[in-house]
Amino acid sequence: MLISRVADHCFWFGRYLERAEATARSLGSTREALMGADLEERQSWLPIVIAGGEQERFEEHFVRADPNVVHDGERVQEYMVWDDRNPSSLRASIAAVRANARSIRDHLSLEVWSQINELHWWIERPLAGGGATGPVPHGRSDCARQVWLDDRHAFYAHIAESSALTAGLLRTTMLRDGPFDFIILGTMIERASQTARVLDVQHHALELSRAHVIVDTALWLALLRACAGYEPFMRRHRGRVSGTAVAAFLIQDPRFPRSIGFALQSAQGRLEAIRANDRRTEGPEPAGGSSQQRLATLGAWLDARSPQQLAGSSIHDVLTHVVDEVHTIASQIGVELLGYAPPPAPGDAHHQTQG
Amino acid sequence: MRYHQPVEAASSADLFASYQRIPGAYDEIVGPDDRVRGDLGTMLEPLVRMDPDQLAHRADLAALSLINQGVTFSVYSDSAGSEKVFPFCPVPRMLRHDAWARLERGLVQRLRALELFLDDVYGAQTFLTNPRIDPGMVLESSAYMAKLHGIKPAGGVRVHVGGIDLIRGADGGFAVLEDNLRCPSGVSYVLQNRVVSKRVFPEMFRRARVRRVDTYPARLAAALTAVAPCAEEDCCSVVLTPGSYNSAYFEHTFLARTMGIELVEASDLLVDDDRVYARTTAGPQRVHSIYRRTDETFLDPEVFRPDSLLGVPGIIRAYAAGNVVLANAPGNGIADDKGIYPLVPEIIRHFLGEEPLLAQVPTYMCARQDDRAYVLEHLHELVVKLVDGAGGYGMLMGPQSTADERDQFRARILAEPRRYIAQPLVELSTTPTWIPEKHRLEPRRVDLRPYVITSPDGPWVLRGGLTRTALVEGSYVVNSSQGGGSKDTWVLEERS
Repeated sequence: MLISRVADHCFWFGRYLERAEATARSLGSTREALMGADLEERQSWLPIVIAGGEQERFEEHFVRADPNVVHDGERVQEYMVWDDRNPSSLRASIAAVRANARSIRDHLSLEVWSQINELHWWIERPLAGGGATGPVPHGRSDCARQVWLDDRHAFYAHIAESSALTAGLLRTTMLRDGPFDFIILGTMIERASQTARVLDVQHHALELSRAHVIVDTALWLALLRACAGYEPFMRRHRGRVSGTAVAAFLIQDPRFPRSIGFALQSAQGRLEAIRANDRRTEGPEPAGGSSQQRLATLGAWLDARSPQQLAGSSIHDVLTHVVDEVHTIASQIGVELLGYAPPPAPGDAHHQTQG
Repeated sequence: MRYHQPVEAASSADLFASYQRIPGAYDEIVGPDDRVRGDLGTMLEPLVRMDPDQLAHRADLAALSLINQGVTFSVYSDSAGSEKVFPFCPVPRMLRHDAWARLERGLVQRLRALELFLDDVYGAQTFLTNPRIDPGMVLESSAYMAKLHGIKPAGGVRVHVGGIDLIRGADGGFAVLEDNLRCPSGVSYVLQNRVVSKRVFPEMFRRARVRRVDTYPARLAAALTAVAPCAEEDCCSVVLTPGSYNSAYFEHTFLARTMGIELVEASDLLVDDDRVYARTTAGPQRVHSIYRRTDETFLDPEVFRPDSLLGVPGIIRAYAAGNVVLANAPGNGIADDKGIYPLVPEIIRHFLGEEPLLAQVPTYMCARQDDRAYVLEHLHELVVKLVDGAGGYGMLMGPQSTADERDQFRARILAEPRRYIAQPLVELSTTPTWIPEKHRLEPRRVDLRPYVITSPDGPWVLRGGLTRTALVEGSYVVNSSQGGGSKDTWVLEERS
């Protein structure tokens, strides 16, 4: 038995966990890439804001006052990590991971919960002098803000490690049943969407700047690192880096766990497992098929894209389709399994599109 | 294998060298001769040998382990959702097996009698014909729920979980301070504190030979199943929580997790044809037994507060029809009301024909004219309590009160005498407690809440309990909402 509300929290727990890790990796790898020569701050930082869906708010708060702010990596990082006005900030994502985890506390293993809790308190602990929120952990810097100031690399690395530890603990300590399936389902849905967004905005930035080959390569490498795909890519392509190859790798490669294709395939597997336990008689089929059918269709469609379709301007269309379709599938999962109200029928005067 | 070793000059050790007992109070570890009490010395040796820095380090470890595991509670007066760690003192409290055995017998007796009393109040009401009893004390109490009269719960049990608060007076003897028969909380801290104390004091723990407490969840799960209106293998039990902002949310998740059953909120349940169902990803599924941690007045908007968002409409109908177990049964408040407390010895005699085994604190009922006159004369030496108050709120600590406060209470008592009782101030026993700010052990007052699970076979007492400590120097109030902390309670095995 799995309570729908619990399944919903599991799903969003998975999504925020993945989102927090993706944000930390993007910021960390961009920062490192910029330490090398040749790259412009502008074409590197803005894509992160756009991929986070925060362009409008960021411009409203900063760019209007100072157009040069998009070159300012510190400002972008500050906004994407700490700013209270940013609902997709790293800090907000981690708080959301913990809030969802707390609501499914009885389904998580103690190991998973402790790990998340530790990360949460690490982020939330104020700088010395700001009043302690709790006791100090031994053998590690106790305050994320301090690490942020002293050693930025260590800051991002700690979040990536902590997320990896959580992901590993989920797989090694959780019962393989409903809650696990929904957590992984959420993780994979978020991953497909994140990879598609990051790739799309990065590609767009490249198109705009028409940069020369070295810069081009440096950006693709940063992108691979952001997806923890640098070494896997090199092994698959024996060191030959090209935009098309990287795009195809991140979109299609069924053996790379952060590719869109892999994420869709895993999501589908989880949905099948969830559906296998579902003894309800099916209601009327929604137009375009059930979430499970749509996932299968999207995966097959993506597989069938030719290298030409993953290059130039047509890649944008491919990725836009992925982002939209994943969004629809996630909403459908909500209605089919998590107890959400169905969306209003098309043509309804109150219909609202989601951004 | 045993770890008996001779005690070495315990009183000369650092941690206890500067320990000053509170005059007049019974200290559970340090005797009147200022030495560690007899047989405790052997067990306490690892602690006695420790210096303050070592103990401070262990206290930090304990606190860190609690915060990382999310062992927190919320305080109502704070902003919504703020969480705190329940302060934990790593120095355990120890209870000898013989003292415990006496307590256990007394608790079983008390719970059996209170169970019969509740059945009677919501049934035949024979007790009310007892010439020594004023029926108004029961029938006119706000804790008596006339709407529930005549309902016989499925499985026949009403107090599935009881928590009885005990104190020790100046002579070290135990007495009941109050009964909690509605939703007694805190048992998760008993189990969690045990995990921590095994980690921070492994050697001492092994020496002491402490009774286990981790059997509690299985006992409770079995008790919920035993009364369910279905075959054992078909039984679906759940824990019902008001939600993640409730002060005891940690405990709700803890119990669901350790019993291996679902934690649900009211909106996850629905009632159809007087049966309760959970909304699951596979459609509605029947629920038979509910360990509910929602206050009873919020349980069912059809019967109690219509504005309750925490309730499940129709759940009382399902309960009355015998289709679902509510643990604890609604209406139990009439048996743990402070206005009924003075009658419990009489209840035990009436229903069991036995003399009470557990002492009680002498209590003046302001509803009685003689008692009231005495109370008003002696406010400066009494503790005055609201009969329906809890959590240490709305009480007067006579000896520590100002003339102003006493005047206020005098007026309140005269206006509504039935709402107040008064008791002499009991010199609660003390036990050495780690005070981080002072970097040393000091005596602090404690109480004890043992937990009793009742199934159709009768009551079972968990061999352990929640020891709450008043952390503020000189304080008698141990409630967590008033700055109290807790300790692990070690019930020791009988030594051969």
